[in-house]
Amino acid sequence: MAERILFNVLQVAVVMAFAPLAAGVLSRLKEMVQSKRGPSIFQPYRDLWKLFHKDEIVSEDSSWIFRFTPYIVFVTPIFVATLIPVLTSYPLFFAFMGDMLGGGFVLALGGFFATLAAVDTANPYGPIGASRTRMVGFLAEPVFMIVFFTVSFVAGSTIPYIVQQKWVTPLANFFEPSHVLLMLAFLMLILAEGGRIPVDNPTGHFELAMIDESKSLEYSGRGFALVKWGGQMKLFVLLCIFLNVLVAPWGLASGQTLGAVLVAIPLVLLKIFCFLLVLVFIESSLAKLRLFRIAEFLGAAFVTSVAAMITRVFSA
Amino acid sequence: MSDATRLLLENLNALAAGLFLLTAFGIVAMRQARACLHLFIAQSLLLAASAALLGMRFDSGHLYGVALVNLISKPIIVPWLLRKTSPAEIYTRREIDQALNIPTALLIALALAIGAYFLGIPLANAVGPEFRGPNVPIGIAGLLLGAFTLTVRREALSLLIGLLAMENGAFMAGISIARDLGMLVELAIATDGLIIVFIMGVLVRAVQKHVGTTAVGELASLREAAAKPAAEEVLL
Amino acid sequence: MSVIAILFPPLIAALLVCIPSRKGWASGVTVASSLVVLALATRMAWRIAEGGSFAGELGPGWDNWIAVDGLGALILLLIALVAATAAVYSVGYMAHGGLTPAKSKLYYANYNLFIFSMLAIPLLAEPTLVWIVVELTTLCSALLVSFENTREALEAAWKYVVLSLMGAGVALLGFLVLFAAMHAAGGGTYTWAGLVSAAPRMPPILLQTAFLLILIGLGTKVGLVPMHTWLPDAHSQAPSPVCALLSGIETTSILYVILRLFPVMQAVPAAHAQTWALVLGLISAGTAAFLLLQVSDYKRMFAFSTVEHMGIILTALGLGAAAADYGAMQQIVSHSVTKSFCFFAAGAVLLAVGTREIAAVRSLIRRSPFAGSALVFGGLAIAGAPPLAVFLSEFAILKAGLAQGHYVATGLLAAFIVIAFFGVMVHVNRMVFAPAENGAREADSPALPFSCRLVLIVAAVPVLVLGVYVPKPLHDLLAAAAAALTR
Repeated sequence: MAERILFNVLQVAVVMAFAPLAAGVLSRLKEMVQSKRGPSIFQPYRDLWKLFHKDEIVSEDSSWIFRFTPYIVFVTPIFVATLIPVLTSYPLFFAFMGDMLGGGFVLALGGFFATLAAVDTANPYGPIGASRTRMVGFLAEPVFMIVFFTVSFVAGSTIPYIVQQKWVTPLANFFEPSHVLLMLAFLMLILAEGGRIPVDNPTGHFELAMIDESKSLEYSGRGFALVKWGGQMKLFVLLCIFLNVLVAPWGLASGQTLGAVLVAIPLVLLKIFCFLLVLVFIESSLAKLRLFRIAEFLGAAFVTSVAAMITRVFSA
Repeated sequence: MSDATRLLLENLNALAAGLFLLTAFGIVAMRQARACLHLFIAQSLLLAASAALLGMRFDSGHLYGVALVNLISKPIIVPWLLRKTSPAEIYTRREIDQALNIPTALLIALALAIGAYFLGIPLANAVGPEFRGPNVPIGIAGLLLGAFTLTVRREALSLLIGLLAMENGAFMAGISIARDLGMLVELAIATDGLIIVFIMGVLVRAVQKHVGTTAVGELASLREAAAKPAAEEVLL
Repeated sequence: MSVIAILFPPLIAALLVCIPSRKGWASGVTVASSLVVLALATRMAWRIAEGGSFAGELGPGWDNWIAVDGLGALILLLIALVAATAAVYSVGYMAHGGLTPAKSKLYYANYNLFIFSMLAIPLLAEPTLVWIVVELTTLCSALLVSFENTREALEAAWKYVVLSLMGAGVALLGFLVLFAAMHAAGGGTYTWAGLVSAAPRMPPILLQTAFLLILIGLGTKVGLVPMHTWLPDAHSQAPSPVCALLSGIETTSILYVILRLFPVMQAVPAAHAQTWALVLGLISAGTAAFLLLQVSDYKRMFAFSTVEHMGIILTALGLGAAAADYGAMQQIVSHSVTKSFCFFAAGAVLLAVGTREIAAVRSLIRRSPFAGSALVFGGLAIAGAPPLAVFLSEFAILKAGLAQGHYVATGLLAAFIVIAFFGVMVHVNRMVFAPAENGAREADSPALPFSCRLVLIVAAVPVLVLGVYVPKPLHDLLAAAAAALTR
């Protein structure tokens, strides 16, 4: 019992500790692809450190929502991290609290508050970004639903720990069309939800073209640090769900000892690194879509997910 | 053949079929004419893969033949023929205004695909238990989506691809339910596909030369003229 | 050997045409080959009519690929007949426009290939091969439709190819399902005859699906409403002799493939094949009859009349009586000879006045008496005036329908025929007899080429004769063809 709580805490610690690293590796890799040297992979840690030591400015006209939001944005990925398999292939102490749908809702809660906070400040760019994020969100929602429903239909459950076993026993199941199509659809979702190219350019500095970033334009100091860190953790958590549940449920600790769990950490990081390579490839080879083309991108994701569903439902 | 191998082959075949369906959707939605062609080539490769996998599964040399014919004719000869016959302009075109916007077209395409399943499953079951697989419904879906492409597209190349995609769809169903159709027939059908490409390429060239466009679907001068003065004339 | 021999003349002619030579070589070769084809087809039809058969003539195994029965021989004869008259007509008609050698080569090479592909349809016994030659008819005739390279002709050719091939794609699935049904029935040779004998063992759902897919797919090429939209375009924009081929026999020879399924479908009454045929036929005939009233182009008028006649034939088959089947066969014959004549007449009018618009043609009888009287004769004949061929066959169908107790369907069919008669005759009347609006238009027309006059006179003979009596050999052939429609 105590062990399981310990592992759960360790799991959260891994997410918190390595999320900035993943972001740093990603931006470094992108720069390298563009034949630049790029910042150190530890730069996100330095940024966070610096921001935590700066003063925070809060507009007088903003309400409690503005001050409260960074904490929610920060806490929700941590909460989800307790539910999903990050290091272990067996459920941990808090895993009973929610399934994949629950995790999705919790993440959506963070997004909801971020939107409110962006509108709250009355900065003109905030609401622009907020409304665009909502548009992407609305379009991504049905895809999420179909993906989860198909997953639960295949595995007979929405608990991630059960789902991940389903795809690889026997190994031939890995090649089921519904599985491959679901992976594709979920990958597109990660691109949309994580604000990556081709949906959004996370490194852009032009406010009018921003989708995700413009919501945090008004934050400074500690609030900004929390929002930023929370965003990095959200991506990390999404990657964990994608990789550990859908794509490659290998390398997770199956033993109940501390050693086994510790060994799983580098393996999971390796998987994430491999995926970051793929992500860099996608981001470097595609251009950002015009805003109204995003509907087509997510439409494609929707079609992929429904194709996954019908190949499964009708041939069962 | 062990059960595990059989299951693996069946799943791989299903995967090829699933991706086939995805390419069919892609052909409906892609704006660039060239991207359509690439998707069609991918679709043909998946069809060949499915035929080869079914050939392995049922130990049928004939299906290997089908796979080989598909491998040679569609990804290699079709683009070559197109380059020879039709103006290079068809590759560079993008469709700005389709008959339907892309999300709507995709939604209708989804409905068609689901309809294809309702149509295909009882068919496959009626042929025999060993024909249960994704090929028949996905083949029918490919056929319907190809036809749908023909109705929403205007550009010559995308229309041609739509036609060929229809044929691919019919084949996708065919390799499952009509496994031993005879090599002569298969070869004849493949040749026929090439003649289609040739003739349509020549037609597109003529259209481009005499009308000055490759958006063949936009030609609409032939119809019953509504208000001609003669129509008001008194009957004799 | 004699059975396949009929395929060689057009093929050889298509090759010979490409040899660069004197003016007149290409057309001469084509006429010669089509006359040979006509002679061969007549011999085959004669033999079938006398009760003979060609089974086993080519050696063992060939019967699975090539087979000729009454129905096949009838279609073969019609193709050969119209191909021959159209070839002779082409000589004068195409030369009239001042053809360059390259264009003439293109025309006659495609013409011969088109004839070849059509002749192959009734000869082949393997359904998927038939599907392929059906595709070939589209592809070989596409460049004939677009021959004049005008905007309209190109548009018509494009629509023709795209819609026909779209239908062919659907039909291909139908044929594959048919093959699967054969498999499910325990195998057998995949031929028309094999299908008929295996039909009772086939799963009804497969048979029904295959029938519907083929009916819709090939129905597109036959021009059944609502898949007919390309037909008036293609059948009006092509050069007139090609229109005669397209309307006169191409539609019929594709319809033949659908007819082949009727004896198969009779094994499964639950599939309602005849009801489908009846409904689709009535819709086609009715829609075309009303569309006929508002055409503005006289070649389109004849094209719509083709849609109407295809509807009538399909309705006759849907009535499901032996007498109606015989009437349908008679209608196929009378439609082929009459419709080809109509397009020859329309071509003559086009040569005389240079426009396709009905409104622009007035008092034709004074400007070109020959073309004018041909148009009136053709109009009367195709609309079904007595005592011409179409009248006799339509009358036979209506009589069979009433005898069968299909009062509603027969009544509707009769009404549509009357409306179509009115539609055709109003336009023809106006073109030929109405006085010109201003005298300036009444310029003298150029004289018709000799070959066109000749063909118009020769082609009128069967239209007249078949309206008065059906010769004994033809009657036997029609009876044999109608017999092939039932199990």
